[in-house]
Amino acid sequence: MVVDNLMQWFESWTLWEAGSPLLFLIVVVIAGVPIFLLMAVNALVAVYAELKISAFMQDRVGPMGQGPGLHAGKWGLLQTVADALKLLLKEDIIPTLADRKLFIIAPFIIFVTPFIALAALPFNQNLLIADLNIGVFYILAVGSISVIGIIMAGWSSNNKWSLYGAMRSAAQIVSYEIPVALSIVSVIMLTGTLSMQGIISYQDGTTLGILPNWILFNNPFSFIAFFIFFISGVAEVNRTPFDIPEAESELVAGFHTEYSGMRWAFFFLSEYANMLIISGVAAVAFLGGWHSPIPGFLESPGWSLFWFISKVGMLIFIMMWFRWTFPRLRVDQLMNICWKVLLPLALLNIFGVGLWGLFVA
Amino acid sequence: MGEYLQNIWASISSSLVGMSITLKHLLLIRKGNVTLQYPEEKWPRPERNIGFDHKDYNVIRSKLHVDMDDCIGCYKCARACPVDCIKIETIKVPKGTDIGTTSNDTKKRLLVTRFDIDMTECMYCNLCVYPCPEECIFMTGGPNSSKHPIDYEFSEYNREGLMYPFATVTQEEIDRYTDSETPEKPAEKEETA
Amino acid sequence: MGIVHGDEMVLNIGPQHPSTHGVLRLKVHTDGEIVSKITPYIGYLHRCFEKHCENLTYEQVIPFTDRCDYISSMNNNFGYVVTVEELMDIHVSEKVEHIRVIMAELNRIASHLLALGTFGMDVGAFTPFLYMFRDRENILDLFEMTCGARLLYNYMWIGGLSHDLPVGFVEKTYEFLDYFEPKIKENDDLLMYNKIFIERTADVGVLPPEVAISYGVTGPNLRGSGVQWDLRKDEQYSIYDRFDFEIPVGTGQMGTVGDCWDRYWVRTQEMKESIGIVRQALKQLPTEGDVQELVPKKIRPPKGSIYKRTESPRGDLGFYIISDGKPTPVRVKLRSPAFTALSALSAIAEGWMISDVIAILGSLDIVLGEIDR
Repeated sequence: MVVDNLMQWFESWTLWEAGSPLLFLIVVVIAGVPIFLLMAVNALVAVYAELKISAFMQDRVGPMGQGPGLHAGKWGLLQTVADALKLLLKEDIIPTLADRKLFIIAPFIIFVTPFIALAALPFNQNLLIADLNIGVFYILAVGSISVIGIIMAGWSSNNKWSLYGAMRSAAQIVSYEIPVALSIVSVIMLTGTLSMQGIISYQDGTTLGILPNWILFNNPFSFIAFFIFFISGVAEVNRTPFDIPEAESELVAGFHTEYSGMRWAFFFLSEYANMLIISGVAAVAFLGGWHSPIPGFLESPGWSLFWFISKVGMLIFIMMWFRWTFPRLRVDQLMNICWKVLLPLALLNIFGVGLWGLFVA
Repeated sequence: MGEYLQNIWASISSSLVGMSITLKHLLLIRKGNVTLQYPEEKWPRPERNIGFDHKDYNVIRSKLHVDMDDCIGCYKCARACPVDCIKIETIKVPKGTDIGTTSNDTKKRLLVTRFDIDMTECMYCNLCVYPCPEECIFMTGGPNSSKHPIDYEFSEYNREGLMYPFATVTQEEIDRYTDSETPEKPAEKEETA
Repeated sequence: MGIVHGDEMVLNIGPQHPSTHGVLRLKVHTDGEIVSKITPYIGYLHRCFEKHCENLTYEQVIPFTDRCDYISSMNNNFGYVVTVEELMDIHVSEKVEHIRVIMAELNRIASHLLALGTFGMDVGAFTPFLYMFRDRENILDLFEMTCGARLLYNYMWIGGLSHDLPVGFVEKTYEFLDYFEPKIKENDDLLMYNKIFIERTADVGVLPPEVAISYGVTGPNLRGSGVQWDLRKDEQYSIYDRFDFEIPVGTGQMGTVGDCWDRYWVRTQEMKESIGIVRQALKQLPTEGDVQELVPKKIRPPKGSIYKRTESPRGDLGFYIISDGKPTPVRVKLRSPAFTALSALSAIAEGWMISDVIAILGSLDIVLGEIDR
């Protein structure tokens, strides 16, 4: 609840009266800085992790620079920093026949989506920009803005591959929002709140004797709901096996074919930030958020942050694991999975959770 | 309905099999790693006995090299080359003039004024190496490898760097022998046409 | 409910595209994702192989055949050399025949590994691709040990070989085969039996046997359609009659006979058969003998012409040579198996989606170096 705390702190020593819109604006801007830093650091770490994980899975060692200078640090630790610098220095190419305005705006829209969604993600008891009473709803709603950015990018590039990527992406994200939302609905039915912190506090304590009282272990239906959510989540962030919008062997690079340098980096940043958000929501909604896996053990704010980050990291690792194991689905198969498998299952789940709540709990 | 559930089950089980394989590789990377850190580590050259007998010929496809001391200017390598990347020009020296002998004790009769190998054109087929009667053209690291260590990293910043002029004859020497005679034209591949 | 047809869009896949296996350009008419017409445009890698041959001596052609199908150079060498030897009536020694078969079969494994790996990459699986390249490297090491080159060997000569086998080659080959056999299963589990891969390839791009035959498709693509046609058995050359091996044909295990999955499966089975052949050849390999004793000093085949075909990893690799008794051939024509496979693409890939076209192209395993020559 960083925003509230900051407001109070400012009000305590400045002359602004409580609830001043100007003060609120200042506080929001200040609160935005850590989100931006978080996204940048997340991308740096996640890209490095992806390089290494993919390398290890493929019997390689990945970036292995030795020492400073031109090489990328020990074990290639500075590889992503070097990549970021390279992207900053690269020429910014805008195709002559592109729709300039849309072409320039599109990466920012895509970038803004995870940026504002991160504001509602709780990292521990206190570390949360704003505890909205409709937190989950907010994140899911904001997440679909990125479709607009992707279509803008695909259309304005004036490239057929980009257009295909954009169209595929739009269809995919819109479809997969539904199972994502429906599986979250079953969580909300249990917790009775849309607030992120509310959902997390519901998961305090133990269940079945030893297991933590996570929604994942609450009942068999919510167990399945987690997998529906996670698989749909992977599809929503366009990762393999659902990466058809940017399928490099078919569509070259999909909707960001024509982007280069920093504009392309925005797509990249937002892809990894989206992974963080989907994993974060999954951790909050199903894995007890910042609660320790052993109830009552190491629950101080510092440790809570650690637990949350490790849960999110684990889920991101699984996404990377998927990516380096599976082939890619075809666009119609992707839709089949969504409409014929995940959606019916999600609906059944809601029904099941309702029955469970009525008769068992 | 049965097929529907079967499909879901097949997807899950085959995915888990695949994921277990990749996880195994991830965990056993110390044992499984097959790559080298190239500039620091290099792939070991396959071992083979070194000698000039065909049986234990140390085969290598690297940079072509010519020992000009041994070259008699017989054009055999230039004729064998499928892409004509070896360019030789010779002049006849007057009879009785001693311009040295090769290490095989063959008397040189021609002064090799030009022996250029264009490594940008070379296709590394090794065909020029076999016909040489004096065994003086070879891929470095092959025969005579005590004299010439293997060199397969000979990139250059411009094209001209990959043209290797091997001829050692100085202009004075050429002038000495060309006073009376005109330089001979390089033999083309007439007999093969 | 009828299908709504929109305006068609023309899409150029290639010449620079991640999955055209070289520099192929496919002009594709699409209605949304559905492909209605495919026109392959070739010639971006044309290097005048056949015209070059008319100006080269017979032995100088060999390094050029390397560069046609650069994935399986040994098999190209083999095909050319066998053709010229038949024209000149040379019968090479036992040892040479055995070494040639070993090299050709090892190269078949290497070629299929690359084909399967790139096919996997075309459908989005990156890791199997690198596993297969890792194993292929081991074969290339064996070749490097033998002839110094890793890709373009110029190893088989008319009447012999450029080098004898090095010391320790037999042991190293056995070591590789023992290492490689379990890896085939691992790769199959990772990719071939993956449900997503099956969904992407089974029933997709079905090449019926009669269509395959009418287009002249050969090799694993034809066998994937269930036709048992392998020149190693049907038009026996070299010493293939002495080895005991099966010819796997597609049976439509996961879908229809002749779909992409069958073509993939046939290649994996062929690798296993090749391992068997290499093992048998290594066992029978004579140790004594000079591999160059029959290499003619001057190669001047008698007047006449010959057409001979051999089984390369991609199918019937035919060489047609006309000789007028001079050291250079009058005409050399190469019958490329990849060319016929590509010509069948539009017949089997029209009506599928863009992603399927890429998968079908990957399953046909074309090499543009051989198509354009």
